[in-house]
Amino acid sequence: MDNRRKTAGKQILDEIEGDENTILIRRTLRSGQKFHYSGNVVVMGDVNPGAEVVATGNIIVMGQIRGMVHAGAEGDESAMVMAFRLQPTQLRIANHITRPPDDEVADSSVPEMARIKNGVVTIESYPAKA
Amino acid sequence: MGEVIVVTSGKGGVGKTTTTANLGTGLAQLGYKVALVDADIGLRNLDVVLGLENRIVYDITDVTGGHCRLRQALIKDKRYEGLFLLPAAQTKDKTAVSPDQMKALCEDLSQEFDYVIIDCPAGIEQGFRNAIAGAHRAIVVTTPEVSAVRDADRIIGLLEAAELRDPKLIINRVRHKMVAAGDMMSIDDIIDILAVDLLGVVPEDEMVIITTNRGEAVIQDDRSRSGMAFRNIVRRITGEQVPLLPLEEGGLFSKLRRLMGFK
Repeated sequence: MDNRRKTAGKQILDEIEGDENTILIRRTLRSGQKFHYSGNVVVMGDVNPGAEVVATGNIIVMGQIRGMVHAGAEGDESAMVMAFRLQPTQLRIANHITRPPDDEVADSSVPEMARIKNGVVTIESYPAKA
Repeated sequence: MGEVIVVTSGKGGVGKTTTTANLGTGLAQLGYKVALVDADIGLRNLDVVLGLENRIVYDITDVTGGHCRLRQALIKDKRYEGLFLLPAAQTKDKTAVSPDQMKALCEDLSQEFDYVIIDCPAGIEQGFRNAIAGAHRAIVVTTPEVSAVRDADRIIGLLEAAELRDPKLIINRVRHKMVAAGDMMSIDDIIDILAVDLLGVVPEDEMVIITTNRGEAVIQDDRSRSGMAFRNIVRRITGEQVPLLPLEEGGLFSKLRRLMGFK
């Protein structure tokens, strides 16, 4: 019994990223405001056009991303960006730089996640549809 | 003690000066004592809009520099008893006044006036810093253009950093027909980005240009829709609850038709 609990505990720990710092920003980042952080960033608010969030880890925005976000800024290709509405002017992960296609009108109303899959930045709805 | 309000926008040409002149005139119409301060040193024009240009003897830098008393520099409006203007200097630049001097000046003015309204220069440099230094609250003016909204967003961020929280928004020069056709940003689009309280929406109106060129404020014109919009904004500033104007323009005839059930 004791043993089993230990293994289960270890499994969960494996899925939790342990050593990184995470910071919580409880406001909207507006045009001209730049936030740089070594670790993960969680924003409770929006990232407006003209604002920048750069993190060495993951970026999660509980709101809309309309500005520039850069996850894995020091080259971490496993970093991801997640937002309730993902409409960035530019989205960077590690050394990949992407922008939405010029003719895009898609207005997704579900949370989305961007990460690198097979060497390309891929955006999928979150939670992923089965 | 009176309230010090700064009217700002970031971008130029969105209607800060026109708004300042109209709010000042409107508040004076309601019987308040109002001082308008032109903080756009080097590019003064609030005096021109109010038609008071030829009465200027002293300006704001004379007051902060101790060359005259505050009372000497204040120009009394031609039409309204309670309306006064402190003009900007034309021959100096923004560095002629410091934020601390502005703060002291606003403090002095608020002792005597119910409202002190500061016309902020465009930009985010020293002129802006001076203009907001003594303010208790801020009104941000924007137009339904992406550039103006972007600058307004930047300004709101800077105001928050300067502890001027919860600025109120005026959306100026809205053309209902273009919004309806999807060719202009709607009020909702703008509020969605800026996420601040809306103080009022002013429709695009030729009367603004006509009255401004005459050195009058459109708020004095009882028939124009922009004047009506400004009157409502003034009432909201004094704490009254006033519903937003319907955006579509329409004379008596279209109102009648709507009442009778025709679209």
